Amino acid sequence: MNFHRVRRLAAVLVASQLRSGRSTSDPTSFLGSPALLATLDVGLFAIAAGVALLAVRSAGLPAGTWAQLLGPLLPFLPLVGLSVVLVAGTMFELTTTARFSGSDAAHWLPLDPTEYAAASAAAIAYTYSPAVALVVGGLLPVALVAGQTLPYLVAVGLSVVALLEGGLLIEVVRAVGQRAGTVAAARGGRFTLIVRAALLIVVILAVQLAFNPVVLLAFVHDLGSVLIVTAIVPFLWSTQSIFDLLRGDPWLALAFAAGQVALLAVLADFAGWTRAKYWVAASAEVQVGSVRFASGHPWFTAAGLSGPEAAVAAKDLKGFVRRRELMPTLVVPIVFVLLIFLEGGALGPLGVVLWLGWIVGFFGLILATTSVGQERRALQLLLATPISARSLLRAKVAAILVPVGVGSVAVGAAVGIYFGFDPLRCLALVGVSAVAGIELTLWGLVFAARYSDFQERPRPQFLRPSGMLAATGTGTVLLFAFLVPAAFAIAATGASAVAAGCAAAGVAVAVGAVSFHWSRTGFDTLFRELPF
Amino acid sequence: MAAPVAPLPSRAPSVPSSVPALEVDGISKSYAAVRALADVSFSVPAGTIVGLLGPNGAGKSTTMKAVLGLVRPDRGRIRLFGDDVLADPTRAKQQIGYVPESPALYEFLTGAEYLDFVADMYGLDGSAREARIQQFLTGFELAGHEGSLISGYSQGMKQKVALIAALVHRPRLLVLDEPLNGLDPRSARVTKDLLRNLATRDGVAVLFSTHVLEIAQAICDDVVILSHGAVLASGTVESLRARAGLAGSGLEDVFLSLTGTGDLGDVVQALAR
Repeated sequence: MNFHRVRRLAAVLVASQLRSGRSTSDPTSFLGSPALLATLDVGLFAIAAGVALLAVRSAGLPAGTWAQLLGPLLPFLPLVGLSVVLVAGTMFELTTTARFSGSDAAHWLPLDPTEYAAASAAAIAYTYSPAVALVVGGLLPVALVAGQTLPYLVAVGLSVVALLEGGLLIEVVRAVGQRAGTVAAARGGRFTLIVRAALLIVVILAVQLAFNPVVLLAFVHDLGSVLIVTAIVPFLWSTQSIFDLLRGDPWLALAFAAGQVALLAVLADFAGWTRAKYWVAASAEVQVGSVRFASGHPWFTAAGLSGPEAAVAAKDLKGFVRRRELMPTLVVPIVFVLLIFLEGGALGPLGVVLWLGWIVGFFGLILATTSVGQERRALQLLLATPISARSLLRAKVAAILVPVGVGSVAVGAAVGIYFGFDPLRCLALVGVSAVAGIELTLWGLVFAARYSDFQERPRPQFLRPSGMLAATGTGTVLLFAFLVPAAFAIAATGASAVAAGCAAAGVAVAVGAVSFHWSRTGFDTLFRELPF
Repeated sequence: MAAPVAPLPSRAPSVPSSVPALEVDGISKSYAAVRALADVSFSVPAGTIVGLLGPNGAGKSTTMKAVLGLVRPDRGRIRLFGDDVLADPTRAKQQIGYVPESPALYEFLTGAEYLDFVADMYGLDGSAREARIQQFLTGFELAGHEGSLISGYSQGMKQKVALIAALVHRPRLLVLDEPLNGLDPRSARVTKDLLRNLATRDGVAVLFSTHVLEIAQAICDDVVILSHGAVLASGTVESLRARAGLAGSGLEDVFLSLTGTGDLGDVVQALAR
């Protein structure tokens, strides 16, 4: 393996992601340089260490207490790196658009597959390293006060190994996924497309749940089983190594640490092998099914949409199922819904209504904020067709309200039944979550019309970060302005419930009206001139 | 070579024949400090093919986007059959077929689904659309691939889909930005013959940009040469030859002479070392 080539390619892969969204600014500026991430690493490490140092000093606890606190946490530091890469990687790396994953600029270069896999894994690890730097910084003062400097340094080193192992695992899954995609393409058919999407969702969902902080914390607390599991599962040998070091067995610790490093080498070789065996440079031609031309989409036209509006809405719905880069928007709410069933028992009716309303509302917000940007460069051809701004807005609203509506009814009913709500409250739960979804859908379109990001990039963001921050911040406030009285109306009885219901309805109508007006003006602006 | 795409039915002109199909009248456009277009004027009469030529960055694509209403000029007007494009852009777009320089199609749709989508956007009748789309698919040798996702298409196949999408609703003006990019020789020939056929038989106006000057010379009635956002020269190929003092020369020599890039010998020599 030529490490110079690996390093150069990894730097290019990081830069490509950093720069792809900055078409108008200087691509050679610091913001487009891989050094940005190193600076973030150092900055976050320093901030976390500083805050932790203040906390340690102000707490004034003896060293032994800090050692007792650190003991159960430090062994899991490498697991943080692994879980960050796997959770973010399955969400964003496996869902890169077919265009980018099928053909990238490096294929023609004289690289062997292991070099490419190593470079890509290093780029992935480096991209997500700031999250680990934050945790590592926060633990430094604690480790120093507790007199655990050596275990801390070993944990930091093994965290880097874990980050790289996570990147290599993503590479392996990506290569195998390519093979599965090719096999599916050969089979063809609409059913295959749905199965392919479902499989991707299941893989992402499994990793999201397995490495979810809630599950990991439960794992940490169950120390009795951990000591057995960490010795058996190779990816947890780092954890076992630090446990052994803390228990005063340096030779066993060294053996497990060496095993973890050896696993990294084996994984690098395996990732190269899977890439050589399964990777295809070009997207396969997928035969979807029999060809039929038919005008009109009866469901949408029955709902009052015109022909062009129905066509856009139907096109967007197909995109939800077929576009890998949109999968995270479908997976995230599913994770949160599953967490309701896992952890929602302690919330009570008021908490359940708030949580469910938040999930459905944010599902609508995310779909809405990404609905214009996901057109990407195809917006040019869409705006060249005879569709008006108002029609496009109606089409987008309709396309989003289908999954939001189905989600709020299905999940609202399931959650209501699971937590023993009576039929009337169950119906109210469905209604409240549906209104939350509609409210934030309209609010999200306000930002979609103004902040959409149309850049072609491997990991599309669809909405500029400033827009996403503004949409989520204001959306949260508006959502809870509706949800709190709505939840109270469901949980309470009598006149106070009626009053709360009226307040919730008033907020919903006001927010809906303002959102719809601002969405219209935003779409009018969008139609004045192509935004790229 | 005979194109297997049947001629379109002739259409009754709804405006006086003296009114050009497209009239670009003194449009200017700047992006911050960058001047993209400066007082660009030309017209495209019905039934003619006008080539829009120029070096990279000359303003060809911006001009075409302005015709579509996708770019709003700072000054000047664009009239389509006498009507201001910006007064009713939706109505104008109904009459235009457009192929951008790098068509970005919805790659998660099949070719057939995409063309069906476009037909819906233009309100094409359900029974007529199938025959028309099938006719084009056969003509461009895409039959058999229309049920596949566009993500698996080659660049040429995507270009063919974009061309069919621009033609499917029988537009009165075609705005084609490098339409022959990536096409195989047969499909390029079909496209050129089809454009000539549409112009002469059906009075369709065509605004056509290309960097392949032999193609422009072969099919364009007039050419407009843009440079640095301004019209450098316009007219028939013969009139431009005369203006450049290069009677008997090809359009490439005329173009290089007019754009001041004629003396390339030193560049080639340096590159060949």
